[in-house]
Amino acid sequence: MRTSLAETEQIEAHLLQQTSPGDALVFEATLLLDDELADKLHWQKATYSMIKLYGRKQLRQEIEAAHQTLFNTDKHKSFSEKIRQIFRKR
Amino acid sequence: MQFVQVLGRTTDGREKLFMALYKSAFPTVARYVCKMGGTFDEAKDIFQDALVIYYEKAAAGAVKLNTSEKAYLLGISKHLWLHRFKQNTLQASLDGIDLSDETQEDNYSESRLMHFLEMAGAKCMQLLRSFYYDQLPLGEAAKLFGFSGVRSATVQKYKCLEKVRETIKQKSLTYEDFLS
Repeated sequence: MRTSLAETEQIEAHLLQQTSPGDALVFEATLLLDDELADKLHWQKATYSMIKLYGRKQLRQEIEAAHQTLFNTDKHKSFSEKIRQIFRKR
Repeated sequence: MQFVQVLGRTTDGREKLFMALYKSAFPTVARYVCKMGGTFDEAKDIFQDALVIYYEKAAAGAVKLNTSEKAYLLGISKHLWLHRFKQNTLQASLDGIDLSDETQEDNYSESRLMHFLEMAGAKCMQLLRSFYYDQLPLGEAAKLFGFSGVRSATVQKYKCLEKVRETIKQKSLTYEDFLS
């Protein structure tokens, strides 16, 4: 694997706490001396947050699509009626 | 709960999963929300939030296999309803001051960045979503995205991670309040 990819993998292992205590110490020491590595670590952390937000947003769209199919197609009419009935009873 | 780990892997599978969960659990959740004085739209919001939580927990393997989906979704929905009810009471007591707009303001740069990533980096974002959000094992992700094997999937994963990391860094200089 390319050196930069190996480094990205190392940053990931550190952020996701998959390194042994010994390796973690070495990595933290390197971080103190290497500003560029610290910078990459900072942005990689932000990247995982964005991926999570992205995944969640996509998932919500998929759930909404399932909702629309269930409540707006004839095939599922008995189900949607059953639900609407619950709120009509009041 | 193995349901998510089997069906949750592909878009088609997830559609089947959510339809099945809707059919088995939504009637009970709707009856509960209705009983508590809520509307259809509120029941829908609560249930969809519960589905997201359930999905994330199940993908991470953090849900006990012997709990039924229906019981789990009802449990989360009740919790979310009670939480939201308390929040509404709190907001009502603040003389109509609504804090939700301020939160949206804070996330403006984040949503601009998200929009950019959705447009310019969709392929990488989809791949990264499968690895980190859906938590697909490498072998399956390799098959799903048509890589020759685990190794090339791994290489592509890290290449995408670097590409998105660089994009976020560059964009953050433009959207100066992002992650400051």
